[in-house]
Amino acid sequence: MDELQVRLVRCFAAVFPSLPSDRMATAQSSSVEGWDSVASVTLLAMVEEEFGIEIDVQGMEELLSFEKLLAYLRQKLGKSR
Amino acid sequence: MKLIEALEILRGEHPVPGQPLQVSLITGFTPLHFQTFLAAHLRILFFGRQANMTQGLYGNFWGSLAQLSQSSPDAAVILMEWSDLDPRLGLRNLGSWAPGELDDILLTAKARVAQFQECLPGCAARFPVALSFPTLPFPPAAYTPAWKTSAFEAELRACISSMRLSAVGLPNVHIASAQQLELLSPLNSRLDVKSELASGFPYRLPHASALAEIVARLIQQPTPKKGLITDLDDTLWSGILGEVGIDGVSWDLEHHSHMHGVYQRMLHALSEAGVLLGAASKNDTEFVREALQKKDLVLPGSSIFPVEAHWSPKSESVARILKTWNVGSDSIVFVDDSPMELAEVKAAHPQVECILFPKDDPQAIHDLLYRLRDLFGKRFLTEEDGIRRESIRRFSELQREEGSPAKTTDGFLRQAEAELTLDCQKDPLDPRALELINKTNQFNLNGRRFTDVSWLNCIRQPDTFLWMASYRDKYGPLGKIAVLAGRQEGRALYVNVWVMSCRAFSRAIEHRCIEELFERHGLEEIVFDFEATSKNGPLQEFLEEILGEPPTPQCILSRARFEQRRVPTFHKVLELNNG
Repeated sequence: MDELQVRLVRCFAAVFPSLPSDRMATAQSSSVEGWDSVASVTLLAMVEEEFGIEIDVQGMEELLSFEKLLAYLRQKLGKSR
Repeated sequence: MKLIEALEILRGEHPVPGQPLQVSLITGFTPLHFQTFLAAHLRILFFGRQANMTQGLYGNFWGSLAQLSQSSPDAAVILMEWSDLDPRLGLRNLGSWAPGELDDILLTAKARVAQFQECLPGCAARFPVALSFPTLPFPPAAYTPAWKTSAFEAELRACISSMRLSAVGLPNVHIASAQQLELLSPLNSRLDVKSELASGFPYRLPHASALAEIVARLIQQPTPKKGLITDLDDTLWSGILGEVGIDGVSWDLEHHSHMHGVYQRMLHALSEAGVLLGAASKNDTEFVREALQKKDLVLPGSSIFPVEAHWSPKSESVARILKTWNVGSDSIVFVDDSPMELAEVKAAHPQVECILFPKDDPQAIHDLLYRLRDLFGKRFLTEEDGIRRESIRRFSELQREEGSPAKTTDGFLRQAEAELTLDCQKDPLDPRALELINKTNQFNLNGRRFTDVSWLNCIRQPDTFLWMASYRDKYGPLGKIAVLAGRQEGRALYVNVWVMSCRAFSRAIEHRCIEELFERHGLEEIVFDFEATSKNGPLQEFLEEILGEPPTPQCILSRARFEQRRVPTFHKVLELNNG
């Protein structure tokens, strides 16, 4: 697990404390209990704060899984470096 | 605090057992992350206690406020933003900002002022209210450029001022400081337009955290420190007394030492607000005595008691001052310009808050004043604040004259013309009672603390009795120094609150209180809801003295046992009210 994944896992663990760590990488809104609109807003606000990025409004509607968020972060942070 | 840290605090360790703190949150917006930050800050300030929040509906600020007076939370938090004065001032509402509409917005806002002033007193009478007025930038709803204050903006700000002024005098209402918030969260970093549009939450995360921190402090109201011990040379004044002489020390513009004068001014204000001031200086005793008599000191030398001026280690001076004041080391602050002296005191008294006086840095001295204000700030002043210093000085002088003692002699008590006044009034409730309970450590039956609401709930039970005792003798008044509360069942009295100020020790007041309880309530026994704490040694010693054995939880004192073991008392007892 690289540093980016570790930091994203910490965000997920804070928002979904009952989500087992072995299910973190496959987590998506449709399968995680408690992943509602409030959880989404909280998770994305936290990711923005943690990674120092701004997620555009369209992204907010699409980033509904760990995998998609990770890919988004890799692309966003890769671009900005 | 970051959002992830707030969530980790809330979802980390289990909250401590006990009743969660019930907080009503009144906002016109979705409180989302503010609520998370507030819960986390409260968890920290209340040492792990859980906070349960209730919130109103989105956009229904005034409806929620109206309902608030019907509820009974432990505390309420009211966050007002511009859009609560009129929805047209908000981003999510597209109501017109045309010049012709502005008067109508003002009319609505003025009506809201009246509504606010009608609602708030009813809430504040029942529970503490933490209040914040608009924190977001004023919306660009004006035809003037942004660098010019428009009449519209001035009038709306006057509405806010009017609400603030009417609220600030209400007991139980605590208003967030706009200046403090500005220091933590600059105005141009507060509004999050994207979040406001997407989720109805208008704050950027750092702003939400800063505001939550201030609001949490308003709810928790930390116990202020009781005393400050200051160094003299290069701290209270500029210069070393032993080198430059009494006329060589200064605190004025002319000698570039003005900030020492400003520090003195701050200490004088603290002293007048009831903070104990002492001095610890490595110096010639006589020199210091003379220097403190200088008429042009901004802080009169008489405000400082005791003064420890000699060549012994400062930790010893601090220990003697603590003994004279009879306060714990965690209640005081020590200020000195020498890091070495601070370290020496800290090593001997780890709980003392040691602060460096930055003698060569005027800006840092200015910052220090704010820090002192925070450490000593209190909710209100009491009569006792005005007499504390003198009563300690008098008692100390008396003890010296008597040549003694930890326990004052019968002879002294017999001639003291002591008068004990018992006030049994429960309504209106004297705020001094709760203040005394929540800050007394040494003579405290069980160390239990109360919130405003839990105290009100406890005391307003019809079968609960409350005594507030005031003391004076021929040497002067001590003010309200003891609180006793409990309930009677038949000929037994259950005492669950008993605190007495350390200034009132050695006057047999505790014996007289017990005697009065037995007599006035026609009792056969008193049951004490005792609990040992790390600090209530004096209370434990007293109970052991009258019980004849170490106290235990729910220990019982019979009238017969008390008669055997009591000491003679000579107080004249007055009663103010039958409650």
